Amino acid sequence: MSLLEVSDLHVWFDLPQGQQVHAVQGVSFALDPGERFGLVGESGCGKTTTILAMMGLLPPSATVSGAVRIDGQDVLAGGEDSARGYRWKDIAMVFQGAMNALNPVKKVGWQIAEPMAFHGVATGAAARRRAGELLELVGIPAAAGERYPHEFSGGMRQRASIAMALACQPRILLADEPTTALDVMVQAQILDLLTRLSSELGLALVLVTHDLPVVAQTCGRAAVMYAGEIAEAGPMETLFHAPRHPYTRLLFAATPDLYGDEEVVSIGGAPPRLDRPMTGCPFQPRCDVVLDRCAGQHPALRLVGAGHEAACHHTEDQAQDRTERVGST
Amino acid sequence: MIKRGFFALVTIFVAITINFFLFRVLPGNAVTDLSRVPHASPALRHALLTEFGLDKPKWEQYLIYLNNLAHGNMGISFANQQPVSHLLLADLKNTIPMVTLGTVTAIVLGVFTGVLSAWRRGSAPDHASTNLAISAYAFPTQWLGLMLLILFAGTLPAGGMSDPFLFTAEPFWQHLADVGKHMILPAVTLMLTTYGSFTLVTRSSMLETLGEDYVLTARAKGLPARRIVWRHAVRNALLPVVTLIALELGFIVGGAVLVEVIFSWPGIGLAMYSAIGQRDYPMLQGGFLILTVSVILLNFLADLLYFRLDPRITA
Amino acid sequence: MTLPIQDPSLAAEGLGVPPRRAGFLRGVLRERKAAVIGLAIIAFFVLLALIAPLISPYSATAQTCKVYAPPSASHWLGCDDGGIDMLSELMQGGRTSLVVGFAATVVAIVIGGGVGIVSGYFSGWADTALMRVTDYLLVIPDLVFALVIADIWGPSLFHVIIVIGILEWTSTARIIRAQVMSLKQRVYIKRAQAIGSGHPRIIVRHILPQVGPLLMANTVLTVAIAIYLETALAFLGLEDPTVITWGTILEHAFERTAISSGAWWAIVPDGFVIAIVIVGCFLLGQAIEDALNPRLKVAHLSVRRWRIRPLAGRGRDAI
Repeated sequence: MSLLEVSDLHVWFDLPQGQQVHAVQGVSFALDPGERFGLVGESGCGKTTTILAMMGLLPPSATVSGAVRIDGQDVLAGGEDSARGYRWKDIAMVFQGAMNALNPVKKVGWQIAEPMAFHGVATGAAARRRAGELLELVGIPAAAGERYPHEFSGGMRQRASIAMALACQPRILLADEPTTALDVMVQAQILDLLTRLSSELGLALVLVTHDLPVVAQTCGRAAVMYAGEIAEAGPMETLFHAPRHPYTRLLFAATPDLYGDEEVVSIGGAPPRLDRPMTGCPFQPRCDVVLDRCAGQHPALRLVGAGHEAACHHTEDQAQDRTERVGST
Repeated sequence: MIKRGFFALVTIFVAITINFFLFRVLPGNAVTDLSRVPHASPALRHALLTEFGLDKPKWEQYLIYLNNLAHGNMGISFANQQPVSHLLLADLKNTIPMVTLGTVTAIVLGVFTGVLSAWRRGSAPDHASTNLAISAYAFPTQWLGLMLLILFAGTLPAGGMSDPFLFTAEPFWQHLADVGKHMILPAVTLMLTTYGSFTLVTRSSMLETLGEDYVLTARAKGLPARRIVWRHAVRNALLPVVTLIALELGFIVGGAVLVEVIFSWPGIGLAMYSAIGQRDYPMLQGGFLILTVSVILLNFLADLLYFRLDPRITA
Repeated sequence: MTLPIQDPSLAAEGLGVPPRRAGFLRGVLRERKAAVIGLAIIAFFVLLALIAPLISPYSATAQTCKVYAPPSASHWLGCDDGGIDMLSELMQGGRTSLVVGFAATVVAIVIGGGVGIVSGYFSGWADTALMRVTDYLLVIPDLVFALVIADIWGPSLFHVIIVIGILEWTSTARIIRAQVMSLKQRVYIKRAQAIGSGHPRIIVRHILPQVGPLLMANTVLTVAIAIYLETALAFLGLEDPTVITWGTILEHAFERTAISSGAWWAIVPDGFVIAIVIVGCFLLGQAIEDALNPRLKVAHLSVRRWRIRPLAGRGRDAI
């Protein structure tokens, strides 16, 4: 049994006019302690919704189905009430844009210590001391806990956010674009910190980002999301060297490579709208290797190698697929 | 902070100057037109003439006016020949408790219902509270007062501040209870007329706050909703409410004038109202100055409160 | 990646796109019931004021029944202390009150919009000076100020309009100034400046249309305040005693012992018509303001909660 298991997770949002957006469409993955898993995709592909749903942090307009299990226990089974019991204690989150994620009128130390009492970790002076230790752990002097978020730099705020997420010794840490708003030097420091913490504390880390190099640098495994579903998932090495979904391949091609001299290719077109039913492969309109089936038949996610899954019609017939790929690269 | 205090001082000075211009320089010539003073004897006219320096040029009058003000001299009431400052100070002592009671209850009630409304946005209680607040805001102050007069004519005292037939020998607390009873209707009217906008602004400020990321963070921490609302959201949502209360002070003072007139509460508003009827310009001028300066000072207090509530603003 | 945290309706409605004025009001009316109700109320009373002389059952100045006669079949809302039909008086009063309300609003919006645009667009010393004046008027208790001025100038309808107009422009000026200052940073304005368009042209062609909806909301809200202030000034006896307004009706009832006579009909309906008009203005103005404020659409905390669909459909189309 894995520490964390997400199975067939769906999220719908109601729109004011009575329609629905199917934002997450059957996402499944599993994580073991100490493992670092990346969730990659363009804006609006459902990656943030996925991790928010894993903590039950959804607005009232949302409908969820599927299961998020921690040690086999379904977090979402009892709705908001059951999800609340797991939050921060078992599963915590580092939000994107740490400026707004911290309450501007409360001291940082207070905000770190606050959840401890609620989850029976520590109270009073002990909680404050622990908050100081956590700040030291992420590289901020403990005394800075007496300051307000606006007195911190962007990188310090993100560190403080991480310290806050560790307050109740969670086993799973979700990080939503933790480095997006930061400059490159600070970005690298934050990623190092997350990597170090996950190995030292045995944290299972889910890193959500649109930034492939960030995932490549940090994670052992990753899933590429497109239009609310997982297009391809597998070990980072495999995804990089032998992608089986054209979207993954194009995504890597669209990322500038510091050392290579390959040309950067951008993917034409835009992701499909999620407020209407789709037929066929969602990526088909933008794909450069379309087959006849792609327009009418939705490809299922299937195993294509050791721990490697892809949802592409090309993977169904290995032989045919291989010739196509040789032809296209 | 110092800048704010400086602004308050400058504004007070501007108010004092405008007060002078309003009554002396603008057409209408209110104070100088001594023929409009009722029952004025030649001796009184002469006294007024020299006291205000009315025979001197305007700028000299202005200096005399400033000098008089600095010594707490606001002139003599035309109506009863008493010093305006004494009369108005006595009135102010009656106004303050009534207005404070009405306003503080309105703020507490408004903030409370506004927070609950936003929290339960879209629910039946939210709709009920919002509609009630809009109505309270929409009905004229004087109409609300008259309605209360009609509804409680028999049960509560309808006017004045104390029962004239209560013996002075009665114990102190009985007099206090008597004043309290007289205070209910005017204070409730003032509360009704101001609480609506407090509710509406708190609600919309709270709605904006509940959309902030740190509320999502607090939810992610597994905190109960009650704590998120009262410990995380309210303090942030109150910031615009403090600004609003400061801006509403002028409106509250206006409401207080109407309320005092309706319930013949012997405060500064009623004094100004009577002054209009009696063409008692020094009283009107003094009342205007005192009310304006009070509002400016309270505004300054609101600024101080804002500094305390928001650590991002430094002094 | 902000979409999923917020209600997705946000993206669907095109967050961040400035409102296009052509269809803006129509859009607000289509999407918000409150705006329709508000506009209907205002339209109803304006229409009533226009045709009041035609449909008014009795004269609004001459005695047609007994003093404080209670409501009856012939006099639906009873009569006042002079034996004048209340319904006719309310219709006549509405005409004057609406004229005062709208006229004072025109004064206030012209000053407020002008000060706001000039102050926001030109910044510098003009801005500083105008904002000092605004700040001052903002803290002055308006009713008390109006009372003093109206008293010095003498009671007249025209004075009341002017007094309300010169007191109620401040909040409009502040809001418009803030909007103009942010507009000024937009690329197309900078481009217009760069190609040498004159200031008046930029203001008329680019700024005014953009602040239009905001100005509209403020206009409607100012009408409410103006009517409110008119009734208050009239109540304090600062209105021309010969004209009938919704304010003077209340004043007469209060002065002439309507309460001790038990003549509630001389008071109650008047308050309701004032309140209904003000509610109408408030609903319309607030609806426009809310439509301009995208922040109100997001809520991370609510008593309503997300739902669980217990049996997940297998396959993508099983919604």
